[in-house]
Amino acid sequence: MNSKEHNHSHDDHDHDHDHAHSHLPSDPELRVKAIETLLLSKGLIDSATLDELIDTYENNIGPQNGAKVVAKAWVDNDYKKRLLEDATSAIRELSYQGRQGENMVVVENTPEIHNVVVCTLCSCYPWPVLGIPPTWYKSDEYRSRTVREPRKVLSEFGLNLDPNVQIKVWDSTAELRYLVLPMRPIGSEDMSEDELAKLVTRNSMIGTGIPEIVK
Amino acid sequence: MSRLHDMGGRFGNGPIPLHKNENNKVEDNEPTFKYDWHAKAWAVTLAAGALGQWNLDISRHYRECLPPKDYMNYSYYEKWLAALTNLLVDKKLVSLDEIKKFVSLVETNKLDQKSIENINLDPRTWLAKDVQKTLGWGGPSLRSTNQEPIYKIGDDVITLKYNPNKDVKGGHTRLPVYAMGKIGKVYSYNGSHVLPDTNAHGNGENPTPLYTVEFKASELWGSSAENENDLVYLDLWEPYFTLNK
Repeated sequence: MNSKEHNHSHDDHDHDHDHAHSHLPSDPELRVKAIETLLLSKGLIDSATLDELIDTYENNIGPQNGAKVVAKAWVDNDYKKRLLEDATSAIRELSYQGRQGENMVVVENTPEIHNVVVCTLCSCYPWPVLGIPPTWYKSDEYRSRTVREPRKVLSEFGLNLDPNVQIKVWDSTAELRYLVLPMRPIGSEDMSEDELAKLVTRNSMIGTGIPEIVK
Repeated sequence: MSRLHDMGGRFGNGPIPLHKNENNKVEDNEPTFKYDWHAKAWAVTLAAGALGQWNLDISRHYRECLPPKDYMNYSYYEKWLAALTNLLVDKKLVSLDEIKKFVSLVETNKLDQKSIENINLDPRTWLAKDVQKTLGWGGPSLRSTNQEPIYKIGDDVITLKYNPNKDVKGGHTRLPVYAMGKIGKVYSYNGSHVLPDTNAHGNGENPTPLYTVEFKASELWGSSAENENDLVYLDLWEPYFTLNK
């Protein structure tokens, strides 16, 4: 380790030099188990809390929440206006709020503009409306390429945008969390809000997909 | 100047790892957690964070400080777990000897279940009954201050050429390398938010005006931009840029 990296005078958290993690087992499953059981044995975590957390995100918090926000915006123009002006409050109207969605921003797709969201530095993602990010969102490939070649990235998702459509890439570098409001698909005019919500996919709210009517 | 996590614009990464169905359509139905250990690694990290011994920016910085070879080899939740392990030791919640002991116990399958059941909980431990309340509140980074923003919407600005973190070499920042020394336009003002550059090092929250800044793809990537009309937006704290005169 390069000694110049050390900077104890300013920052006692500099830890480029210590690697407790290198003592963990090679099997990730055992690695988790070692840390989990150690913390349980010291009473620093409670297994009921872990179960509650996992159950919440497996069953109650996920893209089905964001889909309801989008469907409501499609059928209710006043709601859409509130959503674009103050997304955090408008989303809270549907009781979605909190961790990793404290400051929400909604960006609207139009025939001229297509929005896509990325986090190049880590994997920031709007948990209350989309849940835990999918593997591809957290991948080096998506994080490195989306800001530089969004059109090529989107084409891999099957989205080939007209060159006249402007792409806006939102790199989540702070604690604002972005949700894309996709365009309502043609042919959905007679659908109810609940039916519309079923058309709204996770990827369409990240900007890597569009809602489609499946025939 | 940068660390490995700062990968925006980097060359060399291949196709996005996507699953396609028999009609060559991208599958959009990945479960919340692919494996039980992903769920556990995630939940243990959240629960340990709730002990209040570090903040979000510190935990990000610990992930970013993993040795480059580990950062590259580890999957997402392996990074989380490695950073958590280092945090637990540095913040003296556990000792290295305790880690070695439990590693040995689980590797040899000699862990006594009784040693982890009916334990007296630490007073700081996050209880299941408080989970929904804590999640619903979250951890807002917005602070009310009387600090007036220096810049106006529409101002032409130029980002710093070097890591804005002047206090700590190799310190945490949220200005990515690909957007350093670039000219953009202030798109919106978002209030004062906790400054990661100090908060990640235990040097205070220092709420600072946060803006969204618009960059032209051609400014960021020159002639190799895919489409000169495309735009990239970044959320940047006031010290990350100056007026472009």
